[in-house]
Amino acid sequence: MKSVAQAWNRYWFRKESAAHLARVRIVAFGMLFAIYLPLDDRGWTQVLPVFWTPISLFRLLPGPPRHAALIGILQILWKLALLSSAVGFISRASMMMAAALGFFLLGLPQCFGKIHHLDGFPLLLMGILAISHCADALSVDRALRGGAPRPPSTEYAWPLRLAQTLFLLVFCAAGCSKLRNGGLAWMTAANMRDIWLGELFTHTPPTRLGALLAQQTWLCQFGAVATVALELSALPALFWRHLRVLTLAGLFVLQCLIAVMLGVYFTPHLVGYALFLPWLSRNRAKRDARDALTG
Amino acid sequence: MRVRALHLANCVVLASLAITACDLVTGLEHWPFGSYPMYSTLYSDQLSWLRFYGVTDRGEIELRGDRDFAPFDQARLVVALQRLQASGNAQRIDEALRNLIDLHNRRQPPAARLRGLRLYAVRWTLRPGLEGSEPPQGRTMIAEVFAPVAGP
Repeated sequence: MKSVAQAWNRYWFRKESAAHLARVRIVAFGMLFAIYLPLDDRGWTQVLPVFWTPISLFRLLPGPPRHAALIGILQILWKLALLSSAVGFISRASMMMAAALGFFLLGLPQCFGKIHHLDGFPLLLMGILAISHCADALSVDRALRGGAPRPPSTEYAWPLRLAQTLFLLVFCAAGCSKLRNGGLAWMTAANMRDIWLGELFTHTPPTRLGALLAQQTWLCQFGAVATVALELSALPALFWRHLRVLTLAGLFVLQCLIAVMLGVYFTPHLVGYALFLPWLSRNRAKRDARDALTG
Repeated sequence: MRVRALHLANCVVLASLAITACDLVTGLEHWPFGSYPMYSTLYSDQLSWLRFYGVTDRGEIELRGDRDFAPFDQARLVVALQRLQASGNAQRIDEALRNLIDLHNRRQPPAARLRGLRLYAVRWTLRPGLEGSEPPQGRTMIAEVFAPVAGP
């Protein structure tokens, strides 16, 4: 039991510097601001309740929102909150607002027929950062308040670790869903070919690469097996760093191929990949911790 | 790290993992968590889909662009219509199509506005060599609605 607790603490609660987590905040909120800048939910106020199929907490609403001006104001507030979270200005309130308004604005479109699985992870990331101490360094608040730098703490490690874990579990869940709903037959060349060809008619992919690759049975077979293997490898990749690099590179290529072959764009997931960038790595964090200790 | 903060962190981590594991095992969705079931079913070489055709002064036009019925994209719209179709309530489908005419027309100049909208079930037999631009090999009309005629 004690060794389990030690392993748990080693995984989630090692000591990190405040700057380490602050860099995550800047990158995450900065990217989310850029990605969601074009988002406009006002059009949903023109959609009739006949389409309304609320999910999650939206079931508490009496119906779809009808006030475009109100949605417009909330959008502006949300984008300002994302920006002020990135720079660390009125940090706690900004991040809480970013997460709460994000829940509403990113969740609203999902209540009209279908959940698009693009925005779930970014929202989780916003929520994690909102309750963390990610503004203890490299923030306007910190500069205004002054004082000595915060010493390294376990408080600065778990938020990034949790975000990375949830991001990889997204893919693991996708792999498990394929095996649960399709079984081993999902990994056949015929199934992969029908997906690639079918999307040419049901979506508007930017290229005809799917049509081209579908002509080769061995490529269809390879694509099917590689997709499931890559997605399932996300679970062990949580624990083995070398596998993690390979898995993340593979998943990134997979999502790029999905974009050009199927016309489905996982742009918000870019923020998830950014969480694993080397400059957010442990070595850099060690340097930060040393700098903080030596003043 | 203070004990209270440590407890809070542990609770957040455990709750996140529990919901993720629940969705992963059961296939349920607790948005923003989820089981990520996209493309997880078995596909067939007999493709059935819904497609919209607008009725204009120049005849019938195919509407399959992602911005034709903004804020809907095609994937979300078709799933929403499939759901209405499964409910078996023709009135609700007609109401939905009238709303789609409104959504389309409010972005168009008067000359390009739809007079009506038809919803078809379309089908193809998939085989290597298709490009995606081929017309359906068969189609069945599900519903047809017309926009109210403007008064004098």
